[in-house]
Amino acid sequence: MKIKLDAIRACLDGAIPGTIATCSPDGTPNMAYLSQVQYVDAGHVALSYQFFNTTRRNILANPHARVAVIDPETGAHYRLSLQYLRTEQEGPLFEKMKAKLAGIASHTGMAGVFRLLGADIYRVLDIERVPGETLPPPPPRAHLLAALRASAEQLCLCTDLDSLLAQTLTCLEIHFDVHHAMVLMLDAPNARLYTVASRGYTQSGVGSEIALGDGVIGVAAREGTPIRIGHFAAEYSYTLAIRDNLQRSGLAPQLETEIPLPGLPGSRSQLAVPIRAGQRVLGILYVESPQDLRFGYDDEDALVSLAGGLGAAIQLLQHAPVDAAERSASASPAAKPGPAPEAGPVLEVRHYAENDSIFLDGRYLIKGVAGAILWALLNDFAASGRTAFSNRELRLDPRIRLPDISDNLEARLILLGRRLVEHQAPIRIDKTGRGCFELRIERPLALLHTPHGV
Amino acid sequence: MTQALSPLLDEDQARFICGGVSISAAACRGAGLPSMARATGCRVAADKRSITILLSATASAGLIDDVRRNGAIAVVFSLPADHRTLQFKGGDARVVPLEPGDEALAERYVDAFAGGLAPLGYPTQVIRSVLACRADDLTAINFTPSAGFLQTPGPDAGNALRSGA
Repeated sequence: MKIKLDAIRACLDGAIPGTIATCSPDGTPNMAYLSQVQYVDAGHVALSYQFFNTTRRNILANPHARVAVIDPETGAHYRLSLQYLRTEQEGPLFEKMKAKLAGIASHTGMAGVFRLLGADIYRVLDIERVPGETLPPPPPRAHLLAALRASAEQLCLCTDLDSLLAQTLTCLEIHFDVHHAMVLMLDAPNARLYTVASRGYTQSGVGSEIALGDGVIGVAAREGTPIRIGHFAAEYSYTLAIRDNLQRSGLAPQLETEIPLPGLPGSRSQLAVPIRAGQRVLGILYVESPQDLRFGYDDEDALVSLAGGLGAAIQLLQHAPVDAAERSASASPAAKPGPAPEAGPVLEVRHYAENDSIFLDGRYLIKGVAGAILWALLNDFAASGRTAFSNRELRLDPRIRLPDISDNLEARLILLGRRLVEHQAPIRIDKTGRGCFELRIERPLALLHTPHGV
Repeated sequence: MTQALSPLLDEDQARFICGGVSISAAACRGAGLPSMARATGCRVAADKRSITILLSATASAGLIDDVRRNGAIAVVFSLPADHRTLQFKGGDARVVPLEPGDEALAERYVDAFAGGLAPLGYPTQVIRSVLACRADDLTAINFTPSAGFLQTPGPDAGNALRSGA
């Protein structure tokens, strides 16, 4: 194959619909429009199977097809000679195409008409450049390899999860020209993702949650595959996902324990990339843009690589040796009583055992593992005046009930710390070294506990 | 017998396929790889019994070759604004000489097609360059539509058009 499939991926994002020619066994040609040509790997593409039509009948009888695609920026016109191999009706590729098709359908007024029945996998036998005029390609928005290298160099220098996440979002802004991004961590046993860092939204949304399988982010996490949409698709949007979440959650709505997901009101392009440690999905790196077709295959490649580095770094930091400070904090847990609380009105801290939610003076702060952590810290403080804590002891603390042995406790602490800051609470947790932190209380506290079923 | 029947194309369909629609043609050689090409204009005979599409000979070399061998052709016409799509097939396709005015017809077609795409946000300069065809490279294929199909996405897609009654 003289022309590499990798080199013409820009033609496959559907900006200009492709066409497919097939031929019946009796030699009658057929021509049809394609909603989607999906790059699978250097030697395969997948076409969306949406209707049982002549194209479908033909390729089942005669597997040879030709597809024409056009580069939306230069007008370069290519014909792919294909051989049909098989159809996938579930799994990562199917979900990727289903999400993309939802965007295309909604953009072209075909929502409700286009429905993915299968991903037809074809071997690419040859790619031919159709003779004709072309326009010069526009200059690239960012040199993605250079952006990746600069980011990798900067992420290497981060010594804790908090700075690693912040630096990732900064790199996306500076090097990739991506201004709306968030990182969510996976809570696998509860099948939910929680936002731990974000950039470019009016509300940070840290602590907001999304169910596995909901929207671009939830599907990417469930399938362990990048999901990329080039147009707004209602069924993958967050406003809807949030509403569904609310309806599904058994929590009494009067508790108002939902933190809204950060989201771009006019979001058109979305890309969610799994952050992995080996085979395990740790979370999702998500970017979005108000422009249509903002993220292409090359952006997806770059972000998958960036997320690869991020996953490895998260894993390394989680298993990094602890600081001397943590060892001393763990060795003598009650040895360092903190300063006496500042004077001021009493802060009412209410804990609901049902979901470990915490309310400060009646305002919702946090729930779940981070809520349980805060409740344990405050109880220790009330009992003994203790303010110095270590991650390691928290991981073993039976009151906290981490959902998974591999759960990223540091991410929970970042989430808790951010929520306290955003809440302007008179309670703070300050990092004092790797794997250890200090509780800072600025007002007298009244701890109120509501057990299950009350 | 065909001549005794009324033409497959009705007035509205003839107007539609001669308008600013996307036109693509397919042909094939036995059960091998099909050939395909984009057309750059269309005209319908006054009696509506035959369709002629204009193409770049260079960009359509494979298609022209297949048409010359067996005359089988399929041509699909689609309006991007509402996705209305029709396909016509014929078994008697042949390369025919250009008629006076075909060059101007191709130019008008590109204007109409690109003009319809601009409000939809499509890159019209790109479309113009895809359809650009030197005058000396323009060629024509004529065929009698023997079957027609509605291909607008939706429940009726694939339905055969009323054949002459």
